[in-house]
Amino acid sequence: MTMPFLRWCGTLVLGVAAASGADVTNQRLLNAQSDEASWLMYGRNYPAWRYSDLDEINTSTVQRLAPQWIFQTEVPGRFQTTPLVFDGLMYVTGDDNHAWAVDPVTGRSVWHYSSPVPDGAQGCCGQPNRGFAALGDKLFKVNFEATLVALDPKTGGVIWKTVIDDFKMGYSATAAPLVVKNMVLVGIAGAEFGTRDFLDAYDADTGERVWRFWTIPGPGEPGHETWGGDSWKRGGGSTWVTGTYDPELNLVYWGTGNPGPDMDGDVRPGDNLYTCSVVALDADTGKLRWHFQFTPHDVHDWDAVADPVLVDLTVKGKKTKVLIQANRNGYYYVLDRTNGNFLLAKGYTKITWADGIDSNGRPILIPGKDPTEEGNVACPGLGGGHNWWPTAYSPQSSLYYFPTIDGCTIYYKTSQGYIEGQWYQASTVAGVPSEPPSAAVVALDPTTGQTRWRYKMVSGPSSGLLATAGGLVFSGDAEGYFVALDALTGKVLWKFQTGGRISAPPITYVLRGRQHIAVAARGSLITFLLPDD
Amino acid sequence: MAGQDGKNPHGSDPDAIEAGRVAFRIYCSPCHGIGGAGGRGPDLTLGVYSVGDSDEALFTTIADGLTGTEMPGYGSRISSDSLWRIVSYVRSLARRQTETVTGDAGAGKEIYWGKGGCAACHRIRSKGGRLGPDLSRSGRSRSIAYLRESIVDPDETITPGYDRVTVVTNEGKRIIGVGLNYDNFSAFVMDANEDLHSSLRNEVQSIEKDSQSLMPGYREVLDDSEINNLLAYLAGLRGEAQP
Repeated sequence: MTMPFLRWCGTLVLGVAAASGADVTNQRLLNAQSDEASWLMYGRNYPAWRYSDLDEINTSTVQRLAPQWIFQTEVPGRFQTTPLVFDGLMYVTGDDNHAWAVDPVTGRSVWHYSSPVPDGAQGCCGQPNRGFAALGDKLFKVNFEATLVALDPKTGGVIWKTVIDDFKMGYSATAAPLVVKNMVLVGIAGAEFGTRDFLDAYDADTGERVWRFWTIPGPGEPGHETWGGDSWKRGGGSTWVTGTYDPELNLVYWGTGNPGPDMDGDVRPGDNLYTCSVVALDADTGKLRWHFQFTPHDVHDWDAVADPVLVDLTVKGKKTKVLIQANRNGYYYVLDRTNGNFLLAKGYTKITWADGIDSNGRPILIPGKDPTEEGNVACPGLGGGHNWWPTAYSPQSSLYYFPTIDGCTIYYKTSQGYIEGQWYQASTVAGVPSEPPSAAVVALDPTTGQTRWRYKMVSGPSSGLLATAGGLVFSGDAEGYFVALDALTGKVLWKFQTGGRISAPPITYVLRGRQHIAVAARGSLITFLLPDD
Repeated sequence: MAGQDGKNPHGSDPDAIEAGRVAFRIYCSPCHGIGGAGGRGPDLTLGVYSVGDSDEALFTTIADGLTGTEMPGYGSRISSDSLWRIVSYVRSLARRQTETVTGDAGAGKEIYWGKGGCAACHRIRSKGGRLGPDLSRSGRSRSIAYLRESIVDPDETITPGYDRVTVVTNEGKRIIGVGLNYDNFSAFVMDANEDLHSSLRNEVQSIEKDSQSLMPGYREVLDDSEINNLLAYLAGLRGEAQP
């Protein structure tokens, strides 16, 4: 998949914003990569490149980059949102069911949506939200208690609301939806509560469910035999990060999370399909076309939910439509996205649980690395490797960028009975004494998996990435620094202390003829641009 | 759900203790240690709790958390019945203190304020240094085994926030101290004299944080008897007005 390399001068006329009302057509979404005045979906384009052709801010000019405004949400939390920008407004979701439309010129709030999280709603890791999706005259977001709402972009008013599933069972929703045709695709979380998870598609006009794909196959379905007894009923397989879409193949790609309970595999003998996998679904029906399981019978909570990025690479001399992912289990993978065939895996961090990946894509296990009652060290640690943090692919540098934690964890197994709606991890973890993990942003050659550079960090990564035609990769860190790296070398070219942990990926867009960068940091949203000469 | 007078309805029932142990490993052990002997959170094997000694106080602390500390509330995530089972397990831990105090606290006090030089870096109430953790409540929050390890092998477990950071300036001068801030671009260090230093990575030779404690090991400084005496003194520090 190649894109024309648009020069900065060609974008000026697109940058005159006017708040004239939203009209996000399917065609506009299909062409999202070239819409430089906008950021229209979670991954910027359907392949989730998080790459912009803008280059006003580049390796030569970035040192002058300066804040334009700071919008204080006054909502504490992780603020993991990917803002959307189109037709004169910026749309931002926050923790605890908050959302805003912001004037991108001034940073002033235009409207504020909020909906109380009901008592009893629970999740593993706070109540974050990762962003809106848009289609026509509607915005779509999930609320934490596993509901999906359609909002009026002009007012924030609720157009319709749909219950995805019962939060009292342990279901919750945090991912940005993905619009495909006239459907809103929504992932779910809950594997730490023994839920059986799924991916849903809803009619964008009515909120009616169009299809549901269960990530844990039921009786009579292929893959059901990979679950011992009735363990499939509590099998997990959350879909808590947004997937991707190939309109030519009419396939939706979505990563799935850990099996439940996380670290006691004894109660769920088998490979536990389709957990820790990527599934390719027919976009119209939600039917499974193929799957690939990265970590069969996972016992280390190594979700495979990270962006399933779609690129076209030359593999063995042949141009191939591939799906790439830096998986939480420590390996980088290349799959043929037309059929799920395994093409390549290469470790990118310290790995002690497997001695490589065989020709079928199955890990060659090293015995004795499973969690135990007394505790057992394995690497990567609980968080990975590369966790959910949004990645970036640059067609300019032909590199794939992602953050990673490099380290190990002591994994404990604890036999635990299932109680509906209760925490069901059957485990705990602890750091390895005197071995604190390190962290980095990694640049890989996506064709070979060879690391091109690593930007080392003193603590675990927290944010996602943005690559631009300015030869830059933007990232944030846990201590609040927002940085611009040279896309070819990883050298820090610019930094800004935002005052809060950065847990979100940055975006970029053109406003009034100028390239802007925006990123959420703790409870604030900050935009940047080059100051007037 | 509670028994009469706020008593734990499960008491020391073995099944309740086992269920509580499972829940404890999942929810509590990340801070209190896999066996409850403490770490980031207080040692629970001592049978002495800062919130009071009643079952009800323990239940309320687990359910609602403890304001002003890192202890969160679990009342919305764990049923009352399961909370009581955790109380049963925590109570059972009190009988598992693996090491008891054998030394002379009075002699230990003299070592602390004299030969040991502990006060140069540690505070008890308002007296002493600030380079190491405040020990005013060490008898409440740390097991004897943990305190012994801290004295003889301080590198084994470093209290969060007390990591050693070393800055080497362009002139070759080494600044060693506690990293009050440490990030990708800078460090803010308190040295042994409690002087403060702000350093930017691009203005010095190097800034490194390591897994070594600033505290020296006392195995070569104090004999076994002296260490036991010191432990007896530390075990008696429970936040009351002293020394």
